[in-house]
Amino acid sequence: MTQPSTNTGETDADVDPPTRRDGIGTDANPEADGERATAAETDDRPRESALVADDLELEYPTSEQPVVDCTRLDVPEGEITALVGPNGSGKSTLLKALSSQLEPAAGTARLRGTDLQSFDPKELARELGILSQENDPVGDITVEDLVYHGRYPHRGFFDGLTAEDEEAVERAIALAGIDDIRDAELGQLSGGQKQLAWIAMVLAQDTDILLLDEPTTFLDLHHQFRVLETIRELNEREDVTVAVVLHDISQAARFADYLIAMCDGEPYDWGPPEEIVTEELLADVFEVEARVQYEPELQVLPKRSLSNANER
Amino acid sequence: MAGSHSVGTDAAARRQEGWLTGTLVLFCLASTVVTIVAGLVQVSFGEYSMTILEAWRAVANPDVVLNADAWNAFLFGGELPEMDRNSIVVWNIRLPRVFVAIIAGATLAVSGAIFQAVTRNELASPFVLGVSSGAGFAVLATLVVFSGLAPFLPFVAAVGGTVAFLLVYGIAWKDGTSPVRLVLAGVIVNMVFQSLQQGLFFFADDLGVVQTAIAWLTGSLTGTGWDEVRVAVLPAVLAIGLALAGSRQLNVLLLGERTARSLGMRVERVRFLLSAVAILAASVAISVAGVVSFFGLVVPHIVRNTLGGDYRRLMVGCLFAGPALMVTADVGARLALGGTQLPVGVVTGLIGGPYFLYLMRKQRSMGEL
Repeated sequence: MTQPSTNTGETDADVDPPTRRDGIGTDANPEADGERATAAETDDRPRESALVADDLELEYPTSEQPVVDCTRLDVPEGEITALVGPNGSGKSTLLKALSSQLEPAAGTARLRGTDLQSFDPKELARELGILSQENDPVGDITVEDLVYHGRYPHRGFFDGLTAEDEEAVERAIALAGIDDIRDAELGQLSGGQKQLAWIAMVLAQDTDILLLDEPTTFLDLHHQFRVLETIRELNEREDVTVAVVLHDISQAARFADYLIAMCDGEPYDWGPPEEIVTEELLADVFEVEARVQYEPELQVLPKRSLSNANER
Repeated sequence: MAGSHSVGTDAAARRQEGWLTGTLVLFCLASTVVTIVAGLVQVSFGEYSMTILEAWRAVANPDVVLNADAWNAFLFGGELPEMDRNSIVVWNIRLPRVFVAIIAGATLAVSGAIFQAVTRNELASPFVLGVSSGAGFAVLATLVVFSGLAPFLPFVAAVGGTVAFLLVYGIAWKDGTSPVRLVLAGVIVNMVFQSLQQGLFFFADDLGVVQTAIAWLTGSLTGTGWDEVRVAVLPAVLAIGLALAGSRQLNVLLLGERTARSLGMRVERVRFLLSAVAILAASVAISVAGVVSFFGLVVPHIVRNTLGGDYRRLMVGCLFAGPALMVTADVGARLALGGTQLPVGVVTGLIGGPYFLYLMRKQRSMGEL
């Protein structure tokens, strides 16, 4: 469903392609510079955007300065988008705004054209699932019970469980591959198993869009792959749109269809990984010297930190 | 224990009953037995002496049990029909006190359980969150200053409890509330109300009033009768029904605020409404039994220790364990010292305090905010 890059004129917000092309995106992007424009203007464009942020300014009550200041940002439909960037670059904050957990100080975040703020909470939770970076410790609840809580947005106050709830839970448990620990209590599981249980809960929500905030941090390699494979499978089998904050740029480059590199609260560059991951980006955004290898597949080999290139 | 399902049962049916475990059924049965035994002890002894057999016969007296007029008198305050002396003592004096204890025990336990989930704090209880001291102050003010309002004491207590809780909520509110802020605000409001209570004692000019007031503030079931049952039973049923219906919401709240919100819960609204249910429940108990210390705090812990933290189970457990423990404690309060009756709050405080300490020692995780 690639759209020809000329017909931007008649599109409205929900079919607006996620790129800065002539028309809608460009004028709102004063800081867009040449280097990035080349990366984005290729014909291999994703489909329309599931989530769009426009002139978004985000801040916390405690901070004066906006934490995130982003003119335009798209999460393309049906793809896995990875948000990458150094600590404090605003990735998680951005994800919060895209899931309506943080009300923007200015600008809007829209889900298929509708302002996120205008959604009823349960309605939104049926469209969009989110997994936080850290979950509050929950002790004596079984994995299965936890996954059942994922059905919360589908149930009314007095509603019992339906066959549909059953199915969604079974599917989520199977997808996350945690059938063997379904009767275990959460407090007794390892970090990786816990994370898979939480992911299963979000999967049971049965949403079209999934936002995950650093789901692989603190996990061992095996569980990192389990998590990423689960996400990939979900995306391929059910066409779920995923936006995921990843700590590790090399992992993100290999795993995601689409990358958004954040730097100092602004999107630095975005597009398919093969196009935007360059040695220059790694130097500018991550302040590391690295070698980027494109053949046979994209690989990032970080070497050393660049000494205070733009220290604040 | 939750996983012991027979193979091949329909998954949906299995799920629906997943929380109804053998342990829960056993726990409830045991609690019921304790309640009945303690209740029988309570009706069998006292100043008016009759043999145990006479007392039990009076309890089962078909002339009372099957008499519509008698029930009309008990529940709607109608004219009490003719009955023998034993029956009057048992049915009109001793049994209603047991019923009041059952109601107060159930509502206090449920109230504490809700508060502990809403604040995600195992130390929360109607007492910690200011509800008890607010209600206590309102009662004291009524007795000492506005004695004309005395017939409306239960309602005054509920109003006082609500005001105190709103104060706590208001102080804790800062773009939403957090468990720690709620408890801290509760401590502050508690202190203020307790100072006010102590100040009020100086305005009491009648020793009898002071004694009544102290009985109220320590929690006492002395002299409670069908009047109290009538006042309390409907709001108690309402509060308990709402609490049971809300137990799934409480389970989701326990996953943490962020998760609850991401699942589409309006966290502040749910928290507030469930708190209102908990206040209602606590006020019911306070209005008939006064401020029974430690009860709302300890009973949910006892139940959690045996049944686990799932609120669908916990709530039902509290509903049975609360009455059992309250009736038992009241037996101790009424009969332990022979001639003198103690306020039941003294007994619960004396037993509940050390027991809570024991729990804290045993469970490492407790006390982490």
